[in-house]
Amino acid sequence: MNWLDAVWIALAAASTTLGLLHLSIWFSRRSGYGHLLFFVLSASIAAIAVFELMMMRSVSPDAYATLLRWVHVPVTTAVLTMVGFVRYYFHAGRSWLAAAVCVIRLLALAVDFSTGTNLNFATVTALAPHTLPGGAGFVVPVGSPNPWWAVAQIDNLLLIIFLLDASATLWRRGEPVARRRALLVGGGLVLCVVCVVGMALLTFVGGLPLPTVVTPAFLAVAASMGYELGADSLRAAQLSRDLYDSEQRSQLAARAAGLVMWSWDAAEDEFWLNDIGWELFGIPRRERPRLAALLDRIHPDDRARAADLIREAVRTGGSFEVEFRVPLPGGATRWITTRGEAERRGSGGALLRAVSSDVTERRRAERETAQQRNELAHLSRVAALGEMAGSLAHEINQPLMAILSNAQAAQRFMASEHPDLGELRAIVGDIVEDDKRAGEVIHRLRALLRKGEVRRDALDVNEIVADVLRLMRNELMNRGVVVRTELAPGLPALLGDRIQLQQVLLNLVMNSCDAMEGVGGSQQLVVRTRVGDGAGIEVSVCDSGRGIPAADLERIFQPFFTTKQHGMGLGLSVCRTIVAAHGGRLWAESAGGRGATLRLSLPSPRMAA
Amino acid sequence: MTVFAVDDDPSVRTGLGRLLRSAGFKAEVFATARAFLGAYRPDVTGCLILDLAMPELDGLELQQQLAERGGALPIIFLTGHGDIPTSVRAMKLGAADFLTKPVDDRALLAAVEQAIHRSNILQQQRREVADIERRLATLTPREREVLEHLLTGKLNKQIAAALGTVEKTIKVHRARVMHKMRAPSLAALVRLTERAGIAAP
Repeated sequence: MNWLDAVWIALAAASTTLGLLHLSIWFSRRSGYGHLLFFVLSASIAAIAVFELMMMRSVSPDAYATLLRWVHVPVTTAVLTMVGFVRYYFHAGRSWLAAAVCVIRLLALAVDFSTGTNLNFATVTALAPHTLPGGAGFVVPVGSPNPWWAVAQIDNLLLIIFLLDASATLWRRGEPVARRRALLVGGGLVLCVVCVVGMALLTFVGGLPLPTVVTPAFLAVAASMGYELGADSLRAAQLSRDLYDSEQRSQLAARAAGLVMWSWDAAEDEFWLNDIGWELFGIPRRERPRLAALLDRIHPDDRARAADLIREAVRTGGSFEVEFRVPLPGGATRWITTRGEAERRGSGGALLRAVSSDVTERRRAERETAQQRNELAHLSRVAALGEMAGSLAHEINQPLMAILSNAQAAQRFMASEHPDLGELRAIVGDIVEDDKRAGEVIHRLRALLRKGEVRRDALDVNEIVADVLRLMRNELMNRGVVVRTELAPGLPALLGDRIQLQQVLLNLVMNSCDAMEGVGGSQQLVVRTRVGDGAGIEVSVCDSGRGIPAADLERIFQPFFTTKQHGMGLGLSVCRTIVAAHGGRLWAESAGGRGATLRLSLPSPRMAA
Repeated sequence: MTVFAVDDDPSVRTGLGRLLRSAGFKAEVFATARAFLGAYRPDVTGCLILDLAMPELDGLELQQQLAERGGALPIIFLTGHGDIPTSVRAMKLGAADFLTKPVDDRALLAAVEQAIHRSNILQQQRREVADIERRLATLTPREREVLEHLLTGKLNKQIAAALGTVEKTIKVHRARVMHKMRAPSLAALVRLTERAGIAAP
């Protein structure tokens, strides 16, 4: 064995080793087609090396011709994979050029097997033996060239054009990686093709005594391509390490913040939940995690809504936010808030990512605050009614008085010899009406005095105004206040607590009355309702009192701020709290020394929609 | 003899009217104090049942106006809540009674009876005073002067000296005064003039 043999065997072995390495990478990933292409290229190069070695040691022209014919098979696969690599892995080069190169190369292969003795020679007549320094002997064929060889030359030209075009594209991308690849494709690959073609021309046409050196050229290309692939693999490994780190960091953050992270692949019904999630939702560890298991844990009253929101987000690829209860063993309830986003994937699939957290404490605090607010509202209501006690007693006394007078009149009429039945009937009718009237007053009072849960009903604001003014009729009269109402008809309903809103209005009217006391002149009060400037309803109570100094316009809403001798200074502050809890606003306006307007705006769900 | 009632509440008004009629009184009801004042004549007898708290002109103001016009109509006040300062004021202005709503018929009718009785007396007195005043009006200025001196308890001689005339002339004047005033004695004359509000200077 001479050194030429040794070098070629080593080249074949190196190529095979590289190829097998990338084949194993491809097997482990299945998606990295770059590695598969590289394996095919390496295998082709190994095959070329083997054919070349045999050609150089051929003993008959026929055997050489046959080997030369068959070496074009691995050369073709090598060219095709090279084109494929540039197209697929670098995403460069024109596809029509790539297609043309492949088709013409296959055409050349067909020509190889159908004309002459092979693609290069019509006939191989003799073999000329040569010896390289170091005693390495090899043969060079002598014969007439195959005219169809031009097909291969055209293909080589196209290949060079394709590669140059691809490298230009890569260069223009400007990134360092793309530029390096441009140099590799434009420099390396083109040089290799030029080398191979030049060698073939010199040997087969020029008859120069050179060994065929396709293998080293191709191997150089393979090595540079392998470098690219290797760099990518290293980068992928780094990325996966980074990803792992980032994953660990986010898990740590989630654990520290008590955040449950979960995701759900709608198409595959694959569900993932982080560690603390099992505990938060109370899902037994042994279960295979499923979205249904999570939904099952939600309180039945909240389940349908949560499921609907999740389904809707998955359907539209949107986000959702929902709060629901999770009953715990032992009767306690946990409040969990969940925020999620769905990402549409492919046809019909979607990936839902969500974060849940325990908000039981916050809920409890909110409930306590609401309860305190409610109690304060109730106390202030009772206080306000207490101030009106005399007038309210009158409201009940009037019908009671009428009833008593009527009933006793009836007794007397009946004691007479010929009682007037018509008169008696009228009396009884009036008694019934007055009794109802007294009942209504008591009913309204009891409603105001009751300490109930805050409700959310659809309310007619004009009705509330009318109710309050009816209840205060006597109070207003005793104070000599003349009330005018300007109630806009057909206002949209608002959502709220009737009693609390009545309380607000009652307080506003009482305040206005107090403001007008002892001012002199006629005491005029105007209550207006109208559609507000924004979305919502506006109610205003306008008095002809002494007005509010500009500095006090905000201060009057502070707790314990009062200008009256009696009174706790809580009325307006409670009013503002109530209005805020209804999503509305309450403020005071006062222009010039005389008169003030208290205005409240409340949102209306119908108008917001 | 009429019982008037003023209350802004129609049911109370109607009920009161019925109760009064059932007890055999002639009742007239009004919605406002102004409406009642429009129909008021000073010579009526009876009584007035008045709600304290009413819009525009309230009970106390009406009472004041009636007192200014003079008349013989005692007022029974009705109130939702018997607040003491108001009732004191009402009584000072001469209220006949002060009742709290809802009022029992016996209490109300008793008060009405009493008020009517008082009204009758008042009316009687009014008539007597008017009669005395009419008699006083028939006196000549000279006779009036003599009357005033008589009321101070002066003798005829002293009066004659004061008026610069003779005792005999005074005697004639005195007889005429006694006759015109229909006073049988000096004591009766003093009583009559006292009732008419003419006191000795």
